[in-house]
Amino acid sequence: MSVQTLQDLTDEFQSLSKDMSTIVQARQKLDSQLQENKSVQKEFANLPSEANIYKLIGPVLVKQDKSEAVMNVDKRLEFITSEITRIEKQIADVQEKQEKKKMEIIQVQGQLQQGAQQQQAQVGV
Amino acid sequence: MSSKDKAPQQQTVDLSTLSVDNLAAVKKQLDDELEHLTTSFAKLRQAQNKFKECITTVKTGLRPGKTILVPLTTSLYVPGTLSDTENVLVDVGTGYYVEKSAADAENFYAGKVKTLTENLGELEKIVAQKSQNVQIVESGRSFPHPPEEGAMC
Repeated sequence: MSVQTLQDLTDEFQSLSKDMSTIVQARQKLDSQLQENKSVQKEFANLPSEANIYKLIGPVLVKQDKSEAVMNVDKRLEFITSEITRIEKQIADVQEKQEKKKMEIIQVQGQLQQGAQQQQAQVGV
Repeated sequence: MSSKDKAPQQQTVDLSTLSVDNLAAVKKQLDDELEHLTTSFAKLRQAQNKFKECITTVKTGLRPGKTILVPLTTSLYVPGTLSDTENVLVDVGTGYYVEKSAADAENFYAGKVKTLTENLGELEKIVAQKSQNVQIVESGRSFPHPPEEGAMC
């Protein structure tokens, strides 16, 4: 019975690890987006207000007001930062779950070992 | 995240106290990190070269009346001439293009190249550190363990 529980626990732990790697990947993607948007924001800050800014929409470059473009980037940055905090929370959450599962696994493993030892002792007697 | 867990371990844990399995896990983690860093390094190099190419193009490619072929699709071109050799459109990222004078564009790209050079320098240090760690683990693997465990490796 314990062997089955151990198997189940390990499976759950593995699926948690998988979740973790997808979340971490998403976090990395957000980070690179954050960096890119930040560099764009910095570039916009150095531009004169009458500068011509174009936005690539599909295959077409559309002219855009500087104020509009700046607002757009600011909004994106805001969104990305909030996403990052959300994902960070998720990461902490999964990490906690992983830690718990690990403890459970160790416990069950200990029980199994104890059981085996007792059996051995009985056989010895 | 996991690298955070492992980082203090590398400095404090005596490698000879780890079991063979643990050592293998540490080694794998280090190898993965090293590989990731090396590919990142190569990518940064590529990006830097791209920007350098842009600088040379801005410097040499903008001559008035120069005839060019404009790509309409990847396999269809129409001939054209450059009417404006003073200004260029620069991709600043996330789909935004800014019209700049040739000199400004050159400065922009030079700045990018400079930032990348700094990043590459930092990354190089990290890569060196990591490969040193890998070496330590590799050598630690064969020495501190007595022969009977060596047979397991």
